[in-house]
Amino acid sequence: MTNSIVNFANQHRRETGMLGLLFILVSITTIGTIEEGIEGLFNSMFLTPDNLKNLARTIGIYGIFSIGVGIVIITAGIDLSVGSLMALLGVIFLYFVTPPGTRPDSALARGIPEVSWPVAVFWILVIGTLVGFLHGLLVGKLKLQAFVVTLCGLLSYRGLARFYANDTTVNVGDASQDLSMARKLGDGSLGDVLYGNAEKGMLHNVPMTFIYLIVFAVVATIVLHRSVLGRYIFATGRNELATKYSGVNTGMVIAIAYLIAGFCTAFAAIPFCIYTGSVQPATHGAFFELYAIAAAVLGGCSLRGGEGSIPGILIGTTILIVLRNMVNLMGYPTPLSDAITGGVIFIGVLVDQHGATGFKRLFKRKPKAA
Amino acid sequence: MTLMTSLISRSAFCFLALTCVTSILTSCGGSKKSGGKKKVRLAFVTNASADFWAYAQAGIRQAEAEFDDIEVEFKVGDGSAAKQRELCEALLVRGVKGIAISPTNPSGQKEMLNEWAEKAALITVDSDAVDSNRKFYLGTDNVAAGRQAGELLKEALPNGGKVMAFVGLGDQANAVERYRGLKEAVEGTKIEIIDLRTDEVDFGKARRNAEDTLTNYPDIAGMVGLWSYNAPLILEAVRDKGVLDQVKIIGFDEDPRTLKAIDKGEIHGTVVQKPYEFGYQAIVALRAMVIEGKTPKDLEIPATNQKFIETLVIRKGEGLNYLKKCEAWKASIK
Amino acid sequence: MENITKRFPGVVALEQVRFEICEGEIVALIGENGAGKSTLMNILGGVHQPDEGEIEVAGQAAKIRSVSDANALGVGFVHQELNILDNLDVGANVYLGREPRRLGLINRRKIAADTRPYLEVLGLDVDPETPLAALSIGQQQMVEIAKALSKDAKIIIMDEPTSSLTLSETERLLEVIHDLGKNGIAVIYISHRLGEVNQCADRVVALRDGCNAGELRREEINHDAMVRLMVGRDLERTPSHVSTRALDSKRFTVSNLRSSLYPNRKVSFEVAGGEILGMAGLVGAGRSELAQAAFGVDPPLEGCVNIDGASLKRGSVKESIRAGLYLAPEDRKQTGLVLEFEIIQNITLASLGSYASRFGLIDRDAERAEAERQVESLRIKTPSACTAAINLSGGNQQKVVLGKWLSMNPKVIIFDEPTRGIDVGAKNEIYKLIRKLAERGVAIWMISSDMEEVLGVSDRIVVMHEGRISGELQRDAFGEEAIMHLAVGGPKT
Repeated sequence: MTNSIVNFANQHRRETGMLGLLFILVSITTIGTIEEGIEGLFNSMFLTPDNLKNLARTIGIYGIFSIGVGIVIITAGIDLSVGSLMALLGVIFLYFVTPPGTRPDSALARGIPEVSWPVAVFWILVIGTLVGFLHGLLVGKLKLQAFVVTLCGLLSYRGLARFYANDTTVNVGDASQDLSMARKLGDGSLGDVLYGNAEKGMLHNVPMTFIYLIVFAVVATIVLHRSVLGRYIFATGRNELATKYSGVNTGMVIAIAYLIAGFCTAFAAIPFCIYTGSVQPATHGAFFELYAIAAAVLGGCSLRGGEGSIPGILIGTTILIVLRNMVNLMGYPTPLSDAITGGVIFIGVLVDQHGATGFKRLFKRKPKAA
Repeated sequence: MTLMTSLISRSAFCFLALTCVTSILTSCGGSKKSGGKKKVRLAFVTNASADFWAYAQAGIRQAEAEFDDIEVEFKVGDGSAAKQRELCEALLVRGVKGIAISPTNPSGQKEMLNEWAEKAALITVDSDAVDSNRKFYLGTDNVAAGRQAGELLKEALPNGGKVMAFVGLGDQANAVERYRGLKEAVEGTKIEIIDLRTDEVDFGKARRNAEDTLTNYPDIAGMVGLWSYNAPLILEAVRDKGVLDQVKIIGFDEDPRTLKAIDKGEIHGTVVQKPYEFGYQAIVALRAMVIEGKTPKDLEIPATNQKFIETLVIRKGEGLNYLKKCEAWKASIK
Repeated sequence: MENITKRFPGVVALEQVRFEICEGEIVALIGENGAGKSTLMNILGGVHQPDEGEIEVAGQAAKIRSVSDANALGVGFVHQELNILDNLDVGANVYLGREPRRLGLINRRKIAADTRPYLEVLGLDVDPETPLAALSIGQQQMVEIAKALSKDAKIIIMDEPTSSLTLSETERLLEVIHDLGKNGIAVIYISHRLGEVNQCADRVVALRDGCNAGELRREEINHDAMVRLMVGRDLERTPSHVSTRALDSKRFTVSNLRSSLYPNRKVSFEVAGGEILGMAGLVGAGRSELAQAAFGVDPPLEGCVNIDGASLKRGSVKESIRAGLYLAPEDRKQTGLVLEFEIIQNITLASLGSYASRFGLIDRDAERAEAERQVESLRIKTPSACTAAINLSGGNQQKVVLGKWLSMNPKVIIFDEPTRGIDVGAKNEIYKLIRKLAERGVAIWMISSDMEEVLGVSDRIVVMHEGRISGELQRDAFGEEAIMHLAVGGPKT
């Protein structure tokens, strides 16, 4: 028994370590937010149902696109365009569901017909997937550098989103059609969708985004760790040349990885746009690509490629979200939030790579050569 | 087994490091758990980070100091609705009973504002979400502020003349309202407002707008900057051209360059909002509603549920004093 | 060096090893891969620290904690993989990390002036400002040696310096080593190429399994004695090989193939089923490029490849593999294997589709069973099939590459330098495998720069020179001189 646990920990060293870090964070937050009269477990704010629900909803959204970015990172690539793409897709999605007259006047606004929201969702997924595939072809087939391709995406999609929206905010509330079901599916809980309310108990309070994440995670885990495509993704990330010498079309494997990332981004874009109630093209989804990369790296993906796992990415995402929640709940000044996040990622990665000696090495005086 | 021990030692080390970080952070801020009886928690959430909100915070801290039964959390947004949602949801979990918020995007945030209004007393500050369930709105009447600028213009140009107005984005509510008020005030006088030039918050373009106006209208008599950065940039353009005595400049808000130029007589005057009052009054009102159970009506909020705080006109001789006041506010929150 | 012991997690790499060298002496350090040669030298060079034992330099006890300590004691290291930056010029490489400065800027003139004498000593006739990329590998190696000399090295360690050199470059290097010895510089020479050792060493030290296995003085050095020390038993010399196989003619034909390296040269030849075609030539003759073009990784400009009469789509690796044409590439680490992957995953990488269910999911048990079958039949020395390829020795890595192809249905296998960096014992095993494959009717096209190998294993030899086939030798005409004659251009046509 202990042996098998040790074996498991050995094979999934990074994940186990990060799970430990998560546990520590959760403990600190739980203890740090204990206050009399709070309804949560142990009187901790962190463990109140409301907070857990908020956490699960956010983890759902961030987790979905982090999985996409993680898969790209495993092919030794990178995707910097996530946040901007979400802004662009958000604008387009809201254009699809609002009547042309109420949109900000722009070329795109005039070109998009009003459709019912499920059709709009379909188109958003198609567009996101195609954009991802385009990135993939540029990186995999034309051998452009992923950093550059997606950096151009980062700049241009945000620019397009701002241009198409005349740099003004587009609101979910401007839709004339009934979006209540879309709201429930995007921002509500299981109970909302099934019974119209979320009062009935724990399970009914699970946010829909979290359920989507579980579905994504299961599918992605099987694809990545059990399927032929997954093996090719790891092999390409590790050693593209050797994989090519084994008859694998590595360019296409890379293209598919970006395609998956595009799909995940598009899928997450819709609940996120409902979550914020509007799309301010200049700030919507800003820095999301970096959160995704941070989550993937925390979860054991190597930027050199060929390393990583879906459970790891999920743990990484959860650490990030819990950290932010911790900063908010423990009443630290908001501006410190990012500093703390950065600090913890750094400590996590440092300890993971070098153990405690990493610190010693960091501060060791360099012996002077004679 | 070595692996297990190494894992444990790693975790332990991680824990130590994190605890250190946390304790350092706790000591330099974090939740204030003062002894004695439990205080009611209120919160103020801004839309973004700006000096304007630093002055508001000074008012908030003043109100907090005057009452010993409240503590106020001041949260700074990052310009996105997502961040405000994250902040407010966490505040509600923390048991905050009243929130004053400056929504980044009032119409799009209706749903979430209503949700929070169910759980806490909610008022909007500086920008209003009219059709939400907020208790009331506290802010500037920008039409009135525009009118005040118009009055300043009349003072400066008793004989009338051509005037150009400048702003960042022409379709923003406060720009539209200020411009409207400005035009109302000078109606029927010899002052002619030619147009409103926009710069999309590009400072270079803002200055070029001013320069081009000076070139195209050699007889221009007045220039009005509707956003805080406009007046200092207009001033630079006018100074460059050497027509300081010929062109009167009116500004908005309390940019230090504007305030200094007012006392030198280079800018005729500016209309400032009172963010300090926003902060102070918002907290006082929230406390009255949450602790004393008062309604907006008891607080003498007009039936429109919008309370305007008058803007202040700064003329020659008052600029540096006001600047000192601003700096004192900033200093008071440290 | 006295009683050096070094342990790595799980293994004792060196056990009480003793090693000494005198001024101006040339000592060859030999041993099979994994015998501890590199570890011992890494300790001397400051890369690793010993767990036990003492090091003395010139009678003084020395602690070598880092590479710079080693440099300070006059130990220079010329690594097997060249540690040079080919985007810089010769002088910059020689003085990398200790650039002379003037006013805080690099003093280029001084670098050039200081570098020149070292290049002269080594007989390297290039300007110190030539970019490294413009030099041949042999010349680059000289630059490495110049770098060691410029640090006032008294002992220079050379780890497999000739493994990527051409014949004439090797000759030149051996001369240089000889000269260094005469100038009082001690050289430790690690090599698998016993012929070279025989030529240049004053003394041979052999290691086996991390222990001293014996020494040979100058007069005792000969091929058999060295092999005996390394292997610990008498090894049959690469047996002269008599082909008795029935040949299945024209199994594999290459016609008018033009590779990108020599776009003006067309190459045609054929290999029969059951035949081992050796392809000799100097480095740069375009042999590997030809193989890559035929295999499809580097699509040929023109020409076609036929297997059993059916022509393959040009430039498609997938198509080649489907038709049974496989390549065991020269650079196992970069192109042959995904090093960090397990043996299992490496073996099935090219045929993953056949282990997949309808939904594209991999049947891991079937995969593992096949890998274990290959591990057993190829006698890959590994704790299990789950070991990462990176932890295997060169010979076993090559077997994994073979296993990948043998798990499928090979018709033609191209071996590009099949035994590069592989020790003597493992070499013979690889040869046996190649012959066994030929006996099964597989057409073998073996590219090799190792004379003994080409002569010993091939049924027929073609020699390439500057992108074209300069001649063909049947068994009865085999001979080193004949090959060399063709390799340098052959008869003028």
